[in-house]
Amino acid sequence: MYFRTIRNDILRSKAITLTTMLFITTAAMLVALAVILVVNLTGAIDTLMTRAQTPHFMQMHAGALDMTRLTTFAGKHKDVADFQVMEFLNMDGAQIVFPGGSLAGSVQDNGFSVQSEHFDFLLDLDGNIIQAADGELYVPISYMQDDTTSIGDRVEVAGKALVVTGFLRDSQMNSLLSSSKRFLVSHNDFAALKDSGSMEYLIEFRLHDLDALGTFETAYAAAELEAAGPTLTYPLFKMINAISDGMMIALLLLVSLLIVAIAFLCIRFTLLAKIEDEYREIGAMKAIGLRVSDIKQIYLAKYAALAAAGSVLGLALSFVFRNALLANIWLHMGESANAAQAPLLGGLGVLLLFGGVLVYVNGVLEQFRRISPAEAIRFGIVQGKTGGIHHFNLSQNRLLGVNVFLGAKDVLTRKRLYVTMLTVLVLAAFISILPQNLYTTIASKDFSTYMGIGDSDLRIDLQQMNNIAVKATDIAQALENDKDISRYVVLTTYTFRVRMPDGTQRRIPVELGDHTVFPVAYAAGRAPTAADEIALSVLHANELGRQVGDSLILLVGGQEQQFTVCGLYSDVTNGGKTAKAAFSDATADIVWSVISAELVDETRVDEKAAEYATKFAFAKVTGIEGYIVQTFGSTIRAVAQAARVASVVAVLITILITVLFMRMLIVKDRYSIAVMKIFGFTNTDIKMQYLSRAVFVLLIGVSLGTLLANTLGETLVGAAISFFGAASFKFTINPFFAYLLSPLLMAGAVLVATGGGTLDAGQIIITGIIKE
Amino acid sequence: MKRLIVGENITKAFGAGVEKRKVLDGISVEINAGEFVAVMGPSGSGKSTLLFALSGMDKVDSGYITFDGVDLSRLSDNALADIRRRKMGFVFQQPTLLKSLNLLDNIMLPAMRDSGEKAAQLAAKARVLMQRTDILELEKRDVTQASGGQLQRVGICRALMNDPQIIFGDEPTGALNSTAASEIMALLSEIHRTGTTILLVTHDVKVAAQTERVLYLFDGKIAGEYRPGLANLHHDDLKAHEEGLTAWLTEMRF
Repeated sequence: MYFRTIRNDILRSKAITLTTMLFITTAAMLVALAVILVVNLTGAIDTLMTRAQTPHFMQMHAGALDMTRLTTFAGKHKDVADFQVMEFLNMDGAQIVFPGGSLAGSVQDNGFSVQSEHFDFLLDLDGNIIQAADGELYVPISYMQDDTTSIGDRVEVAGKALVVTGFLRDSQMNSLLSSSKRFLVSHNDFAALKDSGSMEYLIEFRLHDLDALGTFETAYAAAELEAAGPTLTYPLFKMINAISDGMMIALLLLVSLLIVAIAFLCIRFTLLAKIEDEYREIGAMKAIGLRVSDIKQIYLAKYAALAAAGSVLGLALSFVFRNALLANIWLHMGESANAAQAPLLGGLGVLLLFGGVLVYVNGVLEQFRRISPAEAIRFGIVQGKTGGIHHFNLSQNRLLGVNVFLGAKDVLTRKRLYVTMLTVLVLAAFISILPQNLYTTIASKDFSTYMGIGDSDLRIDLQQMNNIAVKATDIAQALENDKDISRYVVLTTYTFRVRMPDGTQRRIPVELGDHTVFPVAYAAGRAPTAADEIALSVLHANELGRQVGDSLILLVGGQEQQFTVCGLYSDVTNGGKTAKAAFSDATADIVWSVISAELVDETRVDEKAAEYATKFAFAKVTGIEGYIVQTFGSTIRAVAQAARVASVVAVLITILITVLFMRMLIVKDRYSIAVMKIFGFTNTDIKMQYLSRAVFVLLIGVSLGTLLANTLGETLVGAAISFFGAASFKFTINPFFAYLLSPLLMAGAVLVATGGGTLDAGQIIITGIIKE
Repeated sequence: MKRLIVGENITKAFGAGVEKRKVLDGISVEINAGEFVAVMGPSGSGKSTLLFALSGMDKVDSGYITFDGVDLSRLSDNALADIRRRKMGFVFQQPTLLKSLNLLDNIMLPAMRDSGEKAAQLAAKARVLMQRTDILELEKRDVTQASGGQLQRVGICRALMNDPQIIFGDEPTGALNSTAASEIMALLSEIHRTGTTILLVTHDVKVAAQTERVLYLFDGKIAGEYRPGLANLHHDDLKAHEEGLTAWLTEMRF
């Protein structure tokens, strides 16, 4: 009986059945893909980091190194399982010349290493530890992905010829978000190159137990060992490895949630319409003694069949597309050890979706309990549904034409029905605008304020080199005398020890200088101006448990000095844990220096950047926009692409759902249409009424969707970005798109779909319907 | 007397192939302006189909129908709608009202389409009609808050809103109890006395007896015609007409 019921029902409403199944299939596919990707990503990261034996704690250090002191510390500390110091030879990008050009324009810190002996191995694409022979060069995988080079290429490094023999996976620096990249050469070649770059040391530790990391970090800081550079830990390496693909997975999950929501809306609308159509029959079934659960089963059967078919199809499709999405994970991290479990877990995800559909349908069908058999049989329609709009009457209408009035009145009377279309329009507007807002935000120059740097035109970095202070002074002098520069500031980052509440000490980087020149975005408070003020990055403040107004004790020049936290700011750079202050201390260790400058004529950024790059070859000079493009270029391009796709998807969803909605409405409304036609309403009148309904819902839906995308969307994106250290996130809204183009697109889609869907609205046989 | 509707050799069939069934089989009929005509006949004889065809609501297969001199078969869907709205009124067995509107708005609806009058003036006119049919106190009620007889009165008010030349009634008393049916017929008779033509389909001898002319349909053809003779009837006369009509119908059936 179920089979016959399902078949008949599907044949009667092919379009809506197919659409509902399409959404369930897409949702199942996306859920399965997300699960498969999560399993593979976590497994691949674990496999890579296990094979490479990634350090648990790493201190980068530029400058002199006391190896004996470090070895003694490692030997005495009970948690240390292994210890090594690796040399990392920083090389100016201009000195690395591939057949297609040099890496001069790269914002990455490119450097050379030899293979490690104990741990932190650089692996080939089969996951094996690489042993480079003389003349061989192994290149970071990211340069293979962006087609910088290929195997067999002859590369000139500081005049020395090397041949690209393979590509390497680096469990620390694979990600584009990691600012350094390691090339691997033989011991002899490394020795030959040593004088062509500046040496930096990677002081690395493996611990017996990763849980002891916190204690170890404190002990390292307390021992006052080498620390002229950033400190990185195993969890941070893991997070950096996961970010790029993790964002894709998050996006997949978000889209699948939206698709599930739309599938549910389709189901809700179909069911509500069906219940209304079969109101009398349902009442009759209740009257003859069928239990609600029995009646529900008849309706549930169709959706169980639909959900089962959609789920199986979605799962099958996920297997078709998974390789394309896994390609990036495989390339950067290799195969996952638990890849075999992925399809099973993907299937489990789809099973949950299937269960979700059944639970939802069951929930909607709960309405059966509220149907009175007596009323249903007597009236055949749901009673008392004017929904409190008694004052909106034709007799009191002075503004609207009769067709527009009837359209608006219908929407207000049958709110529950129109909520479906309204929700789809709100979602579509949201889907259309949010990615576009994200794109305009991260592509705008103001976005630099979330990167821990102010809104300037030119950025000059001095990192991993000797005499940073002197070099910074030289550049500052040049800027001072340059009439093309309107203002500039030198901000130098030093490491200081901070006293923790438990009495222990920890090293933190503090950027000193005038922070009012190019201020960053402050989530709370303001930039430090007095010598006893300090501003903390949000992540740092959270870790230290400090708010604006709290005090913080730093060791400055060997003396404890109390500072007041004057501001909290966003920073997505350097792991998001930084601080800013205005005092000066010549005795502290310089980590790096950043000089920001503003041009009188900002269109000359490229020209001035080239000029300063030539004049100060040791510095990395970039225009802020160029810096953003190079750091976030691939992300900006991906988001731009996603924004375009999202707009198209939003328009398609709008058209599809509107057409279906209108078709179903016309079928439901055939009696009312017949009545109006009898009393002389023309086909054009009927179409006008449907257009009015659509425009009425459209106006509310698009306004609400636009508002939500610009407010709730901002909060959502802000929450996601705060994970990486940014706070007080504000959208840079493109008003032309958000308030004009997107609403116009949606309006066009709705009007076209309504026009198409109601093309034959009046073409009904009046007599047949009146006689029914 | 002016001929309002003329139907000439009208045929109409439903179904196809072996299932095809002629419902109207070459009917010719004339309805004069100001007449009060009833169409009777057994179920399936084509009564309602004839009414829908003469009102231009349904197309015929062959033959032609003119309304007020205009050939309906040559008119577009929209032009037919205009004629229905401006010159015709309809009352059906079930109250064909829109659930989303209250009773006053339902009555005003056809007049709102192209009336130059303001909503307030139309509402006033609708209220006069409601007063006349004794349902004024129901104006703000919903469709689900009135009885069958009351809803039928609403239908009659709506039919009168555009001052039609003719009112078509398809079993207007068919779903009502005898008291309500009598009241509705009294109302229709009153409307007829003001000069409005009325053509109604009915099974009920009591209803038909109150009209001026009865057409009897059988197997898609007009099998006979009966004229009670008088328009203004007293109760005793009505009784006599009923008896005469019943006798005639018995004759027609056998």
